[in-house]
Amino acid sequence: MKGLFKPKPRTPVDVVRQTRDLLMFADRMSDTREGKREDKMLELSKNIREMKSILYGNSESEPVSEACAQLTQEFFRENTLRLLIRCLPKLNLETRKDATQVVANLQRQQVHSKLIASDYLEANIDLMDTLISGYENTEMALHYGAMLRECIRHQSVARYVLESAHMKKFFDYIQLPNFDIAADAAATFKELLTRHKSTVAEFLSKNYDWFFEEYNSKLLESTNYITRRQAVKLLGDMLLDRSNSAVMTRYVSSRDNLRILMNLLRESSKSIQIEAFHVFKLFAANQNKPADIVSILVANRSKLLRLFANFKTDKEDEQFEADKAQVVKEIAALEPKERT
Amino acid sequence: MAAQEEDREARKVQYPLDPSSYQILGEIGVGVSAIVYKALCLPMNSSVVAIKAIDLDQSRADFDNVRREATTMSLLSHPNILNAHCSFLVDRRLWVVMPFMSAGSLQSIITSSFSDGLTESCIAVVLKDILNALSYLHDQGHLHRDIKAGNILIDSNGSVKLADFGVSASIYESNAARGWYTMSSASSLMLTDFTGTPYWMAPEVIHSHNGYGFKADIWSFGITALELAHGRPPLSHLPLSKSLLLKITKRFRFSDYEKHKKDKQKKKKFSKAFKDMVALCLDQDPTKRPTAGKLLKHPFFKNSKGSDFLVKNVLQGLPSVEERFILQSMINKNGHDDEDDDVEDGQNVKHRRISGWNFNEDGFELDPVFPTESKEPSNAKQVRFGGETFIRNKGGESGESSPSSTGHIREENQVDIHGENASVQNRDSNPSSSGKVGAHCEAASVQDRGSEPSGSNPKLSGQIEEDAKVQVGTQCECSSVQDRGVEPGGSNPSSLGQVEVGIDRESMLRNLLLLTKSLDEQKKKVVDLIVLLGGEEVAELSRDDQMVQLIEKLKMDLEFEKKKNFELEMELEFLRLQIHGPPSLETSLQN
Repeated sequence: MKGLFKPKPRTPVDVVRQTRDLLMFADRMSDTREGKREDKMLELSKNIREMKSILYGNSESEPVSEACAQLTQEFFRENTLRLLIRCLPKLNLETRKDATQVVANLQRQQVHSKLIASDYLEANIDLMDTLISGYENTEMALHYGAMLRECIRHQSVARYVLESAHMKKFFDYIQLPNFDIAADAAATFKELLTRHKSTVAEFLSKNYDWFFEEYNSKLLESTNYITRRQAVKLLGDMLLDRSNSAVMTRYVSSRDNLRILMNLLRESSKSIQIEAFHVFKLFAANQNKPADIVSILVANRSKLLRLFANFKTDKEDEQFEADKAQVVKEIAALEPKERT
Repeated sequence: MAAQEEDREARKVQYPLDPSSYQILGEIGVGVSAIVYKALCLPMNSSVVAIKAIDLDQSRADFDNVRREATTMSLLSHPNILNAHCSFLVDRRLWVVMPFMSAGSLQSIITSSFSDGLTESCIAVVLKDILNALSYLHDQGHLHRDIKAGNILIDSNGSVKLADFGVSASIYESNAARGWYTMSSASSLMLTDFTGTPYWMAPEVIHSHNGYGFKADIWSFGITALELAHGRPPLSHLPLSKSLLLKITKRFRFSDYEKHKKDKQKKKKFSKAFKDMVALCLDQDPTKRPTAGKLLKHPFFKNSKGSDFLVKNVLQGLPSVEERFILQSMINKNGHDDEDDDVEDGQNVKHRRISGWNFNEDGFELDPVFPTESKEPSNAKQVRFGGETFIRNKGGESGESSPSSTGHIREENQVDIHGENASVQNRDSNPSSSGKVGAHCEAASVQDRGSEPSGSNPKLSGQIEEDAKVQVGTQCECSSVQDRGVEPGGSNPSSLGQVEVGIDRESMLRNLLLLTKSLDEQKKKVVDLIVLLGGEEVAELSRDDQMVQLIEKLKMDLEFEKKKNFELEMELEFLRLQIHGPPSLETSLQN
């Protein structure tokens, strides 16, 4: 009965409401006096922190699901998320981080076994545009990036981002000079292309041409070591996923793709070589190899066999050895096809 | 002097992101896959910075971990935490530009000038700052995971900063989006072993790779307090498990090790407040350890002085970081040890079999505890603490609840969590591993304290005594033999290397091979027993086991590869004859 001593125990709903009021204030901030503004911003920070501690618990107490549900419901009942995203640049670093964590948690809160965050975002999908363009703002990139990654947990949101014009920008974002931002964008890119299998498969089939053209030229053939390394790893993840088998078949029938992968196989970086092998093996294992693929493999047979002879992973990897043996067998058995 | 203000400003100032803007002055630290340089940032009035250049190709780290570290670091802002000005790629290296902390790490300061430890007043100043940093980190949901003097840096103005987030992990983040990259998969980070360095490691960390909460940092904090007080981490005079042993032989010369043992006899006097504070941190039960915030209110920190005090009492007359680095690298010429543990050689840290330590408040030291069956109940309790990292677990659950996430991922998530539990249980109920440590204990003639060996496996311990007998030899011999004893797969190349130092190599080897064999047999029996009892997945038996198997397999592979190589060479010749000279990749693609 804490309430006896504290005049007004605030409910989660109260906290959200007050946060929203303060955010609205912050949103139109320019027309207020300096001192009052600081007080309000301080109060806003406190409220956001309180939301965080309701959602995550704190050192004394675990989160209470009922309170979380109430908070979530109130938060999405009105346009709080939009306000929060819009005002984020006006908050201080610690509050930005708190807000990011609050938004992250809210994506996973269920109210009456429904993810109301998903419904909200579907109705306010333009918020994604704001979050994505955050990568162009050094100061906001990591906050917006983290929020974005949480939002694309929802399949509908991921689909929107995949099909939007933003998708093309990621090829540049992941090569931004600021390593932390580039790395954050890379994590989002990977999430987009691996998380929701059916959506990804659909996206890749529909956008095959431009996507892989960009992927090959901007990422796999990038001059940046880490870009190549990440890209070839992600490519393997995508192509080896069963849901993407149609895309895979198409990919491994192209001699240009084979050329790129063979060049990656020759890299001096072991990590890249190994990842490249996991894609290359698909070319070799393809039972319906087009004639030009066969002829390239035949023409380079001895080089490839020599390469694979000394090719091993750092750690023992039975699967890798088995794959390698298979690839060697396939290549050794190839007969040049008649071109028709 | 202005370094601190400069540092806080740094968030707004964008440091240049190209290597040509920096002029490297010299190395100040070297690790397995990273080098730390002192450098000038030319466009910034040639201000001094430290650059940690991490070789991303050499450290086979999962890229997601590298990313996480970078993001974590760049979002932290606290006067007692060293964060990066910026980071960018230079070919295969990641350059992390940081403020230059001119006095270097406390570990290097102690090594060079305070080998018997710092005074209590100095310790209080340092630890208070570290607690401030920890309290901030923990509030943010981050764990540091590798607190030790080597990661505490001091600037010329006496400001103290906690550094090296190579192993830090965020509780908030690990439950979040990266469903399939839970901490368990992140067990090897780029610079340090994910869970830190053995001496400083909390019991529950040693028992489980995953059950790691804020309180484990508090344990390491307590160990660090002892380290600062004694001039070295506790137990560094004891030959413990292989990992610890390696650590000792690397950090201190063996002759030192003898000396340290003697030093321990004349104990320093410590105040009651200090002892009490450390005792609180080193409670076996993590739930009883205070939080960082609570510790700050402890009487020990009440009259703590300011940073000026450190300048006067510690920094004056200290050799420069560069000088210390050069000196240290001369001493360690054959080793790869670095001057401060900034850049940690985490490779040796992977095996760990010490169960934990009981803090002996009177002696102000730690007494080792080796895992035995009878110890299990308390272990189990500690392990349960894994579940107590509530935020993470909780988040994990709600994370799974997302219906839009595909089943595949969810499954993996769950498997991960189960895996945690399974491996935890395994570890505790794994007689073979405890037997092994027991062996060690025997060999090192350390009292197996307080825990009656459950005697559940008399054969095994008999075996172990044999083990100990084999080990009668010179001191340094002993170390290599122990390696063997611990890792029955004696074929470990590193231990082989050490044997070479020995005197009678041949007989030693013979003995060892015999030992290996019999140990293997024993282990097989134990495994069978475990299976029989319907127990755990044997596959996850112990890391040592896996290592052994791995080494065996690798050896066979090598043979196989050599053979195959030869065959392929033959085939090549043949092919060359068939095709008239192999066309090069490029030319072949032209047509």
